[in-house]
Amino acid sequence: MSLRPFILGLAASFGLAWLLVVIVPFVKMRNLEPVTLSKETDGAVGIFYPKRSGRIVNGAKVYAENGCYLCHTQVVRPTYAGNDLYRPDWGGLAKDPERGDTRRETNAYDFEGETFAQIGSTRMGPDLSNLARRLDAAVAAKGSGEPAALLYAHLYDPRRSPETRKSTCPSYRFLFTRREIKGQPSNEALPFGGDATTELLPGPDAKALVSYLLAMKKDQPVPAALNFAPPEPKAAAR
Amino acid sequence: MSSAPSATALSDATQRAGIDRSLRHPVMFFLTSGAAWLAVSILLAIIASIKVHCPQFMDDCEYASYGRVFPAHINTLIYGWGFQAAFGVLIWLMARMSKQECRAAGTILSAGHAWNLVVLLGTLGILDGRGTGMPWMEFPAFVWPGLLVCYCAIVVWSFIQFRVREGERSFVAQWYLLAAMIWFPWIFVTANGLLFCASGHPLMAAAINAWFKSALMFLFFIPIALGTAYYLAPKLTGRPIPSASLAKLGFWSLAVVAPWAGMQKLAGVPLSGVFLPYLGAAATALLAVPLATAAVNILRTIFSAEEKLPKSPALHFTLAGLMGLLLLAVAAIALNLPGSSLKLTQFSISGYGFEILALYGVFSFMMFGAVYFIVPRITCREWVSSRFINMHFFFSAYGIVAIAFGALFGGFIQGSAQEAWLQPWESVTDIVRPYAAVSTFAWCVILFSNIFFFVHLAMMWLGLGRPGGAPVLMDSPAEPVTPASH
Repeated sequence: MSLRPFILGLAASFGLAWLLVVIVPFVKMRNLEPVTLSKETDGAVGIFYPKRSGRIVNGAKVYAENGCYLCHTQVVRPTYAGNDLYRPDWGGLAKDPERGDTRRETNAYDFEGETFAQIGSTRMGPDLSNLARRLDAAVAAKGSGEPAALLYAHLYDPRRSPETRKSTCPSYRFLFTRREIKGQPSNEALPFGGDATTELLPGPDAKALVSYLLAMKKDQPVPAALNFAPPEPKAAAR
Repeated sequence: MSSAPSATALSDATQRAGIDRSLRHPVMFFLTSGAAWLAVSILLAIIASIKVHCPQFMDDCEYASYGRVFPAHINTLIYGWGFQAAFGVLIWLMARMSKQECRAAGTILSAGHAWNLVVLLGTLGILDGRGTGMPWMEFPAFVWPGLLVCYCAIVVWSFIQFRVREGERSFVAQWYLLAAMIWFPWIFVTANGLLFCASGHPLMAAAINAWFKSALMFLFFIPIALGTAYYLAPKLTGRPIPSASLAKLGFWSLAVVAPWAGMQKLAGVPLSGVFLPYLGAAATALLAVPLATAAVNILRTIFSAEEKLPKSPALHFTLAGLMGLLLLAVAAIALNLPGSSLKLTQFSISGYGFEILALYGVFSFMMFGAVYFIVPRITCREWVSSRFINMHFFFSAYGIVAIAFGALFGGFIQGSAQEAWLQPWESVTDIVRPYAAVSTFAWCVILFSNIFFFVHLAMMWLGLGRPGGAPVLMDSPAEPVTPASH
């Protein structure tokens, strides 16, 4: 065997796959074409503008640095690839009081503002694509509280609430600081963990992470071109 | 007439001794520091694994948070142990097969020290909460150029040695080693360059990361392991490789198939080519062909020896690694059937089981075999204790069998529970716990086995090996010399 044909062989066999699997898709997806809305199916004209709010960049950094992606995924697969969509609160809410069934699969515009989509490794915990929708629903069901407060409490001690007593989520106490109360107690202080002279406050990383997680509402309506849901069943069809 | 061959034999022996001497320090450095990183990695694996079934464990320590310890574990396993073991074995095998003395031992040794420093900084970075959040690339962004420079400074000499080797002949082992040397920088620069320096779509970044993991496994670690086995099997048995065409088929099918694999992690993800994950799944399943072909070819070499083989530790570890390779080939098919199993294993612990099987059950076992073969030759000392080797072998084997079967099988159970959407999600978490407990126990066993390995290797490094005498076999009688008497 001489070196030159060997290296050419390697370059050809590897280079072909490298080009077709990595480079071409990378370039193709680099600047995704915006989806054009159509009058008859979407009832509007112009382009689809995916909305995301919150501290996406800072929050995604904290999410990555603390390994949340090891146990939580951020993808709701279409039904050909898994049963995620059937779960009542993963792809959206099955019974949203205003919009009805909002469940949909993840689309390429859901990661707007991030550099790396945290698809995730292993589902030790639930999918987070619509975490904020679940929290909203939980708050609405309870009639009090705030989604952010639920998240802070979960991050500080995941096993605090009786419903999540068996959670295996690590606690992120190091994202919080304990501070002496001077004058008025802070309105950001956690409702627990404080005493007469000190209070627990979320640190900057905790705030960024919670802001990022509160933006996890990947069920907003999509244009018909991205909507793969089966057509609405006719009312009372049996 | 009879003096001619003995003169050649003598000059061959002198040449081999010269090569061994020239590489003594770099090889021993890589193997010993690699073994130390392996111990660190296993310790981190134990902490991470305990946290899965017992989350209160070390819950107050920021640096021991699961999300940091687990990436630190897998990255030290790959860059701390895996690469250094590969370097140590690769530079020695290439020099021996090309019959060239190493003239750059000083450069290699310096680059090796730099590699260790960079890996250390990266690991501390992860534990300090500066990880990048991309699996197997979690080291902070400043690390990868350092690793690349050190890599080039270490392996370029082996490439040159192959180029100026005596004669036109080449061995199957050399194909694998040479190809791994070429593939790795290509893969590494592609993935790191596109993810750290170019801005693409976040989903494509995740896809490239998945491809990187698979490519690193099947185009670096597995080829190094196969190259080592293709060298050791004929050496230890004195038999030739039975089929040259099978060897060619095994090598080129790996080269053709493996670069397509990996993106099955993103099945159902809206990439602009939704077929890419399924292409990856098909390629990974097809990898069973090159893996099984190579395994069968090497196993036939070993079993073609007529006389009863001595129980050499190198042969034992290589055989076990080949068994791991066959299991890996079966798992590559079983985990990646798009219609049935892929949706179960995509987000389950089977993925981890598969990776650990490849990295420890196949790659590390082959490396251990090579270490038991190489170290006595370069230190001119024999291993001290057959009991140490036995402990290392059996506990490592028990451990990896428990992890591989536990995670591969547990992943299917976990995946089925994930798919059972009528059940509440909490039931899935409960299902993982027993398998995590098995994994903790198995990592403890593996740590125990590697303490013997590390101590034994360190003794050889410090010159405490037995000077002369018969090679230590796995069924040698109780050791005549105790290390304390030196």
